[in-house]
Amino acid sequence: MDSAEKKVAVWICEGCEIGAALDIDALEEVVADDCDTDSCQSHPFLCSDEGVEAIKKGIEDGANALVIAACSPRFQVDTFMFDGCLTDRVNLREHVVWSHEPNDEDTQMLAADYLRMGCARANKAEIPEPFEAEIDKTIMVVGGGQSGMTAALEAATAGYEVMLVEKQEQLGGWLTNFAKTFPKKPPYRDLQPVDLESRIAEIEQNDRITVYTGATIEKIDGQPGQFDVSIKTNGNGAGTQFRAGAIVQATGWKPYDATRLGHLGYGSCANVITNVQMEELAASGQIIRPSDGKPAQKIVFIQCAGSRDEEHLPYCSAVCCRVSLKQALWVRELDPDAQAFVLYKDVRAPGQYEDFYRRAQEDPGIFFTKGEVVSVQEGSNNDLVVDVEDTLIDKHIQVEADLVVLATGMVPVAADGEAIRQFRDAQGVVAKGEEGVQLEAAKETVVNLAEHEGTEILNLGYRQGPDLPVLSYEFPDSHFICFPYETRRTGIYAAGCLRAPNDFDACREDAEGAALKAIQSVELASRGGAVHPRWEDRSYPDFFLQRCTQCKRCTEECPFGTLDEDEKGTPEPNITRCRRCGICLGACPERIVSFKDYSVEIVSSMIKAVDIPDEFEEKPRLLGLICENDAYPALDLAGLNRLQHSAFIRFIPVRCLGSVNVVWIADALASGYDGILLVGCKSGDDYQCHFIRGSELMGTRGANIQEKLKQLALEDERVRIEQLSISEPERLVEIINEFAEEIDDIGMNPFKDL
Amino acid sequence: MPQPYVVRPDSAFLGRILDEGGEDAKKCFQCATCSVVCELSEGGRPFPRREMLWAQWGLKDRLIADPNVWLCHQCNDCSTHCPRGARPGDVLAAIRREHVLHYAFPSFLARWVNQPKYLLFLLLIPALLLGLAFVSKDQLAGALGISTTTPDTIIYAYWSQLPQWLLIAFFVMFTGLAFLGVLAGVVRFWRAMKAADALNRFSTPDKGIFPSIVAALKSIFTHEQFNKCTTDRARATYHMLAFYSFIVLFVVSLWVMTAGINPLVGEGFAYPFSFWNPWRMVANLGGAVLLVACALMIRERLKRGEEGLKNTFFDWGFVWLLLLVAATGFAVEAMHYMRFVPQRYVAYLVHLVVAFALLVYLPYSKFAHLIYRTTAMVYVEHAGKNGGAPVVAVAEPQPEESVEIGEQQDETEGQQGDTEDQQSDTEDTHEAQ
Repeated sequence: MDSAEKKVAVWICEGCEIGAALDIDALEEVVADDCDTDSCQSHPFLCSDEGVEAIKKGIEDGANALVIAACSPRFQVDTFMFDGCLTDRVNLREHVVWSHEPNDEDTQMLAADYLRMGCARANKAEIPEPFEAEIDKTIMVVGGGQSGMTAALEAATAGYEVMLVEKQEQLGGWLTNFAKTFPKKPPYRDLQPVDLESRIAEIEQNDRITVYTGATIEKIDGQPGQFDVSIKTNGNGAGTQFRAGAIVQATGWKPYDATRLGHLGYGSCANVITNVQMEELAASGQIIRPSDGKPAQKIVFIQCAGSRDEEHLPYCSAVCCRVSLKQALWVRELDPDAQAFVLYKDVRAPGQYEDFYRRAQEDPGIFFTKGEVVSVQEGSNNDLVVDVEDTLIDKHIQVEADLVVLATGMVPVAADGEAIRQFRDAQGVVAKGEEGVQLEAAKETVVNLAEHEGTEILNLGYRQGPDLPVLSYEFPDSHFICFPYETRRTGIYAAGCLRAPNDFDACREDAEGAALKAIQSVELASRGGAVHPRWEDRSYPDFFLQRCTQCKRCTEECPFGTLDEDEKGTPEPNITRCRRCGICLGACPERIVSFKDYSVEIVSSMIKAVDIPDEFEEKPRLLGLICENDAYPALDLAGLNRLQHSAFIRFIPVRCLGSVNVVWIADALASGYDGILLVGCKSGDDYQCHFIRGSELMGTRGANIQEKLKQLALEDERVRIEQLSISEPERLVEIINEFAEEIDDIGMNPFKDL
Repeated sequence: MPQPYVVRPDSAFLGRILDEGGEDAKKCFQCATCSVVCELSEGGRPFPRREMLWAQWGLKDRLIADPNVWLCHQCNDCSTHCPRGARPGDVLAAIRREHVLHYAFPSFLARWVNQPKYLLFLLLIPALLLGLAFVSKDQLAGALGISTTTPDTIIYAYWSQLPQWLLIAFFVMFTGLAFLGVLAGVVRFWRAMKAADALNRFSTPDKGIFPSIVAALKSIFTHEQFNKCTTDRARATYHMLAFYSFIVLFVVSLWVMTAGINPLVGEGFAYPFSFWNPWRMVANLGGAVLLVACALMIRERLKRGEEGLKNTFFDWGFVWLLLLVAATGFAVEAMHYMRFVPQRYVAYLVHLVVAFALLVYLPYSKFAHLIYRTTAMVYVEHAGKNGGAPVVAVAEPQPEESVEIGEQQDETEGQQGDTEDQQSDTEDTHEAQ
């Protein structure tokens, strides 16, 4: 659609108090006078059947860009969506009449400005056309343990072809090591045998699932819908290639390295073993001591061995308590004269597993106490003494043991893609051998990151690294309740213990979720839509590469590894990897990245559309660039709660705070705005930023902005960056009002009258 | 620096706790609700929480020397509030039973007394002994130099075949043996508590022994602690009724028995009493109250079944025996008035047998709570209600300690001694009419 053919029609709704609080005729005049539009009409109740009919009639008459000035765009989404039309929603309800004094001069000016901004956007934006590509809908599952097998079965049941790749010679993962598990059904009291055979049979009999065991991934190139996978199998050594649309990574966990638990006697005492080793002993039917092969009758379980410990694993692995309960009961089953002692920090047996804990507690041969295990010492005969402090039995107790079992935690089997990339880059620098500071730094990096060498799992051909980036504690998951299974690589989903420590049931649930995510990913890719959180968004970034200076900011900053690079450093977009956050747009100093309906130019035109009064007194103007994910809904909530905020601020929703291009701030200051407020989602380890790094990047860019302000001899305080969550409308209003007061104190932007 | 405590669970001990009323002990997950709701538990002695953990672990060495279990009156505030259904109140009761068994001398008697299968056998013993005394009363009299023909001026024999002197001699001898058992138990318990304190807490005494005894007795006589229990106030009331009726019967009996030599006994005290004699009326009232108190306790235990106290043979044995003693006493009195001869002699024999069981088996039955609870309360007053903060060990003056035990003993012993006499005396009175 060419802008020449564009016919902009404005509709102002008078319902929901809008008509009573604003002079609608005056607004219509503003549109007629200031905006490049074809028509402007008002309606008492625009979302009614009559209202919608009226709009449809306008469309029949040729309107194709609609400015709907009514409620928040978060409401009546379907009502105001018309095929073939660009719709811009001007939020007169929540952001104007519900949050400002009715029939007030400033409220009226606010509404007029929002209409001008809406019309400006309607004039500049275009209807996105979906990215078209040939999409393969095969789901690849990496890892054939509990999670991987479940994901494969779920995806196959849903009708998708599945490629299941397992490193070991047989499917099952840890299930092959465990003879019994803790109970999975009521009454949650008795140990349960593991039934692996029937599950493997189910997979083998499924026509849609192709299993590769003893296989490793040599390379995965491409993008969602077009992953080109090369695997190598041990059996015949031959390589296999196939194409997949999305990937579920379920590579599971490994036990925490017990050799680091010297203070608990591991390594130095023959009869100190891990819970994984105990599993083998119990499965053998006899609990014997490694030192002399004699039956062990006093068995001490040390919980949180290296878990919830800043020196080791700071997190809880969720299952070790139940595993020890299981093993303690197992010990008692095998030998009624045996005694099992469980030394814990807290027994964590969630949900119905409380009953299982009760079951173990009731056993007269199982003894529990809370306490801090100080040491495990070996005496004569390899007998052990465990020193425990701060128990309720006494300040300092000793428990004698034939065998000590360390309940070690789970470490995800993940590869740190970013570290591997840094390592490889540094290796490259070292190989080139050019003298200089860089060489020294590179040599250091090679040493520091040496442990990551050869840890690759997926071997992605991504510029940002060959595996999923990991977050805290080495887990690649998003860590946030809103985005389970999401990783920072679109189309690749983490499930099971790779995502978080889980028990078998939770792994199964995880795998179901991740399989669904993978299916969504291929389905959306097949129609050119974005995945979560810009669900179904058909727009995608366009790079005007002729002007690219190869600064690599976009390729570095993209949170999803969308962009690869050619040898010169020119970005190579892979659109189905893109989540449409616009961080590349914010990053680009040359402003060559744009979406059809979201670009530097569109937002600039909105900024400039505001009518800035010449005199500062009583009429300062502030610009608010707020993230559409949390801050914008929070402002809606503020309106819903009738919380009043300054009428001098004009808000523009942005896709992510990371998509804010610094030029907008320069434009705003040059246009005469007195202050600029930027509000995004929370960053940090517990980030809520929907694009992971947006708020964080804005923080970095904020430093550059402050620098720019200094150059212009403007006060730092004129630009403020804030982070909040969707549940904080009161705080948002406080921030706005405080900011307005502060700017009032600082005074007029000296560029206003220029 | 105290030595670490080496924990060695005693499976047999734990098994008995679980079998004898403390079956829910293992359910405790150490939330401390019990110690918080308990009106009797104080900061430094946070029972029953710690005792619960020790019990779960079968730590007999700790529990057996723990006076705190006797500070509990089993009102079951804790059991009512326990979120886990671990019933700490009942677990403490089971531990107290273990104390009685552990400190009993000779210990085989305690084992017999607390097993239903020995019940008949144990009742047969006094019956046989009485029979033996009856058969050989003339030889005995001869050996003791007692003239069987000379009627006693004050004491009037209820049944000439079982003369007063014979009964007094019989009961004094066997209660004397029981007293030795009590003495042994108290000494062993006291030493164990002291040893445990020295080992773990190094406490200095809070109070001297005599003030400790005074404080403990004050608490016992006012039921000060027992009355703090909120869930089950009735228990304290019933116990108080039984307690005071028992004392009344004790004093009357003591007066009757010692009328010949007691300087406190005045001129007007002439035995046998008429029915309207104040002494007799007081004794009858005491007996009636005891009977009612026992009946109420039994009703309470029956009524509340699973919800209320856990009832073991240990509990039932004692309360039924007490009821039987009072009931047979009245039966004898009633038959006496109704001139049911010789039925009244049969009732009298039964009464003597159950009275014997109550008194002579005292150190081995739940009746022993009288001595162990008193001992523990005195000890806690002595050692400090804080459970002994870890301070420097101070050697305790040895003589004082031994004196203490002696005194304490006497006191308890006196109480029990009285019971027996009082019962038999009541009977004698009737005969007088």
